[in-house]
Amino acid sequence: MNVVSVQDVSKTFGAGHTAVLAVDHVSLDVDAGDIVLVMGPSGSGKTTLLSMIGTLMSPTAGRVLISGQDISVLSAAQLSRLRLQEFGFVFQTFNLLSALTAEENVMMPLLTAGVSRKHARVKARASLEKLQLGHRLRNLPKDLSGGEKQRVAIARSLANDPRLILADEPTANLDAKTGQDVTLLLCETACRENRAVIIVSHDQRLRTAAKRVITIEDGRLTTEEGGQHDLHCRMHAGAGLP
Amino acid sequence: MQETGIPAGAMLFLAVKNLVQEKTRLLISVGGVAFSVLLIMSIQGLYQGWSNKIGEYIRTVPADYWVTQTGATDMFHTPSVLPLTVRDFLTGVEGVASAKPFSGRRVAFDHNGKDINLYIIADDVENNVGAPARVVEGKAVPERGEIIIDAVVGRSENIRIGDTIPVAGRTLKVAGYSEGGYILSFSFAFATKDDAESILQLPGATNFFLVTVKDGTATGEVASRIEADPAVDAITKDRFVENNTNIVRDTFLPIILVLLLIGIAVGMTVIGLTIFTSTIEKAREYGVLKAIGVSNRQLYTVVVEQAVTAAVLGYALGAGLAVVISAAAGQYVPEFITEIRWFDAGWIFAVTVAMAVVSSLLPVRRLAHIDPAEVFRA
Ligand SMILES: Nc1ncnc2c1ncn2[C@@H]1O[C@H](COP(=O)(O)OP(=O)(O)OP(=O)(O)O)[C@@H](O)[C@H]1O
Ligand SMILES: [Mg+2]
Repeated sequence: MNVVSVQDVSKTFGAGHTAVLAVDHVSLDVDAGDIVLVMGPSGSGKTTLLSMIGTLMSPTAGRVLISGQDISVLSAAQLSRLRLQEFGFVFQTFNLLSALTAEENVMMPLLTAGVSRKHARVKARASLEKLQLGHRLRNLPKDLSGGEKQRVAIARSLANDPRLILADEPTANLDAKTGQDVTLLLCETACRENRAVIIVSHDQRLRTAAKRVITIEDGRLTTEEGGQHDLHCRMHAGAGLP
Repeated sequence: MQETGIPAGAMLFLAVKNLVQEKTRLLISVGGVAFSVLLIMSIQGLYQGWSNKIGEYIRTVPADYWVTQTGATDMFHTPSVLPLTVRDFLTGVEGVASAKPFSGRRVAFDHNGKDINLYIIADDVENNVGAPARVVEGKAVPERGEIIIDAVVGRSENIRIGDTIPVAGRTLKVAGYSEGGYILSFSFAFATKDDAESILQLPGATNFFLVTVKDGTATGEVASRIEADPAVDAITKDRFVENNTNIVRDTFLPIILVLLLIGIAVGMTVIGLTIFTSTIEKAREYGVLKAIGVSNRQLYTVVVEQAVTAAVLGYALGAGLAVVISAAAGQYVPEFITEIRWFDAGWIFAVTVAMAVVSSLLPVRRLAHIDPAEVFRA
């Protein structure tokens, strides 16, 4: 079964002559282990599509299925739970909780899912250590570099072992090298654990990590190509960390 | 999908972290709540203290019933005057063990330009009625031309033992200090029966009769037999204490209610504003939480728990201050008689928590409108 199945989905903002057709009859299936890079010009509807897949926005037409389940029939509380259990989110602006340390930020989805504090701490710590952040557990976001923040965000997105990770421009607020390294790290981690990833990015170099590259223009899915998928999924790439 | 209940601990964890992060804001909200708790608790304590005080002397007077002139329910409002001949009627009532006259009335005199109110009681040694509850200094029993006043008045108005005071055209020498008869606007004072009769101008009359009932007699029946005389009422001791306490209630309840409302308004405003500004500032973070799967209900919990936690801290501080300040103030200002009961501490706590919950309503409404899709916008 597909992790995500987008079926002929459209999204219109506004009404009448000011209406904007942001996503125009898009269909897309994503399987476990897929790494999908979504590219396209600014304003082409990438974020809108990602929001609909992430159940943060409902389509004007068409259906989105998550693990075969039509999400339009789910209640707000059920959607929350779905996002908590099945999705990981990585944002352009990191969006860590400023009052919580790196470790606590990663613990948050676990605690929300009902995991005990002790267990959550162990898991968060292990996850951050895997991302080479073992020495930054107790730091608040304001004391972390951009690359470190994004790695904490990646650890948070992976906390509840989601099937699908949605990342919108994860590199945009980082310098080119750091951005690329962090995103490759995300792809590798996901790939190793057979999770699906959808990354929206302008960064051409991420083609090396992607299995599939799709392009969206004016809300339409125009091309789909294979990526290089040049990842060391079983072994660490050894690239310098940000 | 794994089904779990709402993990309250996770939200409390975040609530506490959010509070601690904003120390200034936390201080303001804790301080605001502490102030309102201090205000409410001190006023309530004073009210309770005064209410008790007024009954304190009356409780020491030995009587099962206070017999009054019909319509008089307490010592202060409606005057009660009964001819001494009523005594014969009372002692003749079946079940009555004794009936003793009790005379007392309020008189005022000027002392150094200040009105001093005394409630002069006839200390009837013969009948063993009208003695001070406790004498702490000087004579325990006044002699002719002497008066025993309350130590609180003596000390605060600087009227010493040996001084003379003008009372209703007479001059009486202060012979002793008693305790436990100080009630806000006046205090009990004790003169001999003869002096009291001339001051109170009650020839052949008294104000009340104190009736005791024979052992094993049903008290209610005695009361109805006494009240067969339409000129008198028989009021149980407890009832009489309560009626007198109502004086404090009538005078101060409106003031207390106003101060209570001010306290609540201050507490709610401070906590409401701090929690509201905090929620607005963290709107984006709440959006992120929504996006990553925290339900609306859980988010509300975070906000309410922040408000309640700050309120509970404020309560602890305010209640602690109220106890300390009341005790300290009582040492220096004798009028400051307070009693903080567990019951009052309890309802004030409930009011404080309710205050926090109500102040969270506005921020919670705001939370409901946060669109989690916004978190993808830079
Ligand atoms: N909430 C909204 N209300 C109205 N119009 C919107 C809204 N969100 C997006 N749009 C419009 O929909 C279109 C697609 O926007 P979207 O953000 O999905 O583009 P994008 O491909 O992510 O662009 P970028 O690369 O700049 O992030 C744009 O024209 C945008 O102005
Ligand atoms: Mg976008």
